[in-house]
Amino acid sequence: MTAEEIRAHLDPIRDQFAEERSLVLPALKFAQGEKGHLTGDDVTEVAAATNLTPAYVESIASFYDRIYLDPVGKRVVSVCVSLSCMLNGSDELLEHLCSREGVSHEGGTSADGEITVQEAQCLGACDRAPCLQVDAEETMGPVTLSEADAVADRLRAEPQPRPVLR
Amino acid sequence: MPQLNSVYRHRAADRVLTTVDTYRLSGGYLALEKALGEMTADELLYVFHRSGLRGRGGAGFPMGRKASFLPKDAQLAKYLVCNADESEPGTFKDREIMELNPHQLIEGMVLAGYAIGAERGYIYIRGEYEYQAQILDAAIEAARESGYLGSDIAGSKVDFDLTLYRGAGAYICGEETGLLESLEGKRGQPRLKPPFPAVKGLWASPTLLNNVETLAALPPIVENGPDWYAGMGTEKSPGTKVFSISGHVTKPGNYEVVLGDTTLRELIFDMAGGLREGRSFKACWVGGSSVPVLAEQHLDTPLDYESLQEAGTFLGSGGCIVMDDSGCIVRASLRLASFYRHESCGKCTPCREGTGWMENVLQRMVDGEGRMEDFELMEALFGRIGGKCLCALADGAVAPISSAIRLFRKDFVRVVSEGSPLPQPMSPQLEMSGGRANA
Ligand SMILES: Cc1cc2nc3c(=O)[nH]c(=O)nc-3n(C[C@H](O)[C@H](O)[C@H](O)COP(=O)(O)O)c2cc1C
Repeated sequence: MTAEEIRAHLDPIRDQFAEERSLVLPALKFAQGEKGHLTGDDVTEVAAATNLTPAYVESIASFYDRIYLDPVGKRVVSVCVSLSCMLNGSDELLEHLCSREGVSHEGGTSADGEITVQEAQCLGACDRAPCLQVDAEETMGPVTLSEADAVADRLRAEPQPRPVLR
Repeated sequence: MPQLNSVYRHRAADRVLTTVDTYRLSGGYLALEKALGEMTADELLYVFHRSGLRGRGGAGFPMGRKASFLPKDAQLAKYLVCNADESEPGTFKDREIMELNPHQLIEGMVLAGYAIGAERGYIYIRGEYEYQAQILDAAIEAARESGYLGSDIAGSKVDFDLTLYRGAGAYICGEETGLLESLEGKRGQPRLKPPFPAVKGLWASPTLLNNVETLAALPPIVENGPDWYAGMGTEKSPGTKVFSISGHVTKPGNYEVVLGDTTLRELIFDMAGGLREGRSFKACWVGGSSVPVLAEQHLDTPLDYESLQEAGTFLGSGGCIVMDDSGCIVRASLRLASFYRHESCGKCTPCREGTGWMENVLQRMVDGEGRMEDFELMEALFGRIGGKCLCALADGAVAPISSAIRLFRKDFVRVVSEGSPLPQPMSPQLEMSGGRANA
């Protein structure tokens, strides 16, 4: 992603903030939409587009769970493990998805690079526990183990959406 | 007039109100027209005050009073900020309002903005609510097109517009000053208070910051009058509150109750369908995960701020998590400790280090390696974490755990002396019901 593209995205919202610095998070999210994660070059381009230093931009990016500074899968599946979901079997759900995707039980990216499974803190869908979220867009639940399989199969078959919203 | 106890219009109408038209058909935007057309800002502020509405984000501070703290003579621009970060475990009430009834929040924000003299408001929504953010984006655009946002709103000469700002996954950005830092493009780490946001908030300007449910309550209050609202509930807890209930109940969901009218038992067993066949009640975190846990003996407590406080806990965000006897209190406490360790922003040492210590000690108990000295160690930790940090995250981390050890000491002692927690694992309702996609 180039600084120019990022600037073009920021220009319409620029005057909504008293200070330019507020644009850093919208810029990071926008730049991440291209590949689903940010490279060192992306961080530099965000910095150029927001008139901040790359080190500052990285310090912001690293603060948030949903900004990825390392490559992740084509789709990210977040399994909520907070209390309400745990009481409804989230640990089994997470374990199932991890072993199905062949990643460590704390999560990781499948060997084919298609799916990242990760733990998430409360997703605000406790009424549908155990729940999971695909990228930041689709929250579903209660998810049975066989439904989780079906979700993973569907994600493999689907093209990656653009932009990637995580 | 029958006692109307659905302050949130989609509940009263029992339908989705995402368009301007459907919202108007349910009485929406009348309050805005009335207030901006006929009332002065101070009159409106007084209406908020008289209603007794308390903040629904967790702390329960009277909304009108907070709004009146903004200096009247300030030269700086004033801002209104809506806290839609909703990341407290067990809490999903704001999600419902934004998803099904976004215009009531927008109308509430125009009213609050006018009352404090702000021309811009921000909604800070958690990154994981992208689905709800898109609904809000569309609603904001539609409200602008209908003249309810922008300049000269509804022909009143009042200007007010909204910006939706998306977070990116950090519980601490729900803490008011952490939120402001994040919105300013900084790491979302809390500030030292005072100064409070009302005096020095966003970009050091006077800022009113309220929760989604708080702001969305304003239109019906203006429409029906503050006495109508204050007439519901108790003197100290006027109005209604939405409780999100989840965990081991058969009908999890959001239930709006008149404060003081309903007991915890009624919420769990009547409204939320009670427990599964053959199960008995074990514990409940009534106000989200950051409050002291309650046990069987507390079930007849009325749901209002003062009664819950007397029972030793807080109403908090109203995110009520219920656990039956298939759950293990030690495991549950460990899960909460892990949450706070993960979400501690690291700015204050007692919280950064202490949440990790609490997690480690509970983990060792669950792993069958607990020692009796660990109880003393935990007590010492509580004293070193609580009340020693810039924000309330640390207190919220201690509350559910210290209370659990106190109320369920026998369970902890058994786990430590027998060397393994029972029962385990948590058996889910996994194969019971089909999954549903959004809403
Ligand atoms: C760690 C922490 C997290 C919080 N998260 C939220 C949140 O997600 N939403 C919210 O409205 N308030 C949250 N609060 C409370 C806010 O700091 C603030 O009191 C509230 O948003 C004010 O709005 P109200 O007066 O309408 O309740 C949190 C507080 C703390 C200490």
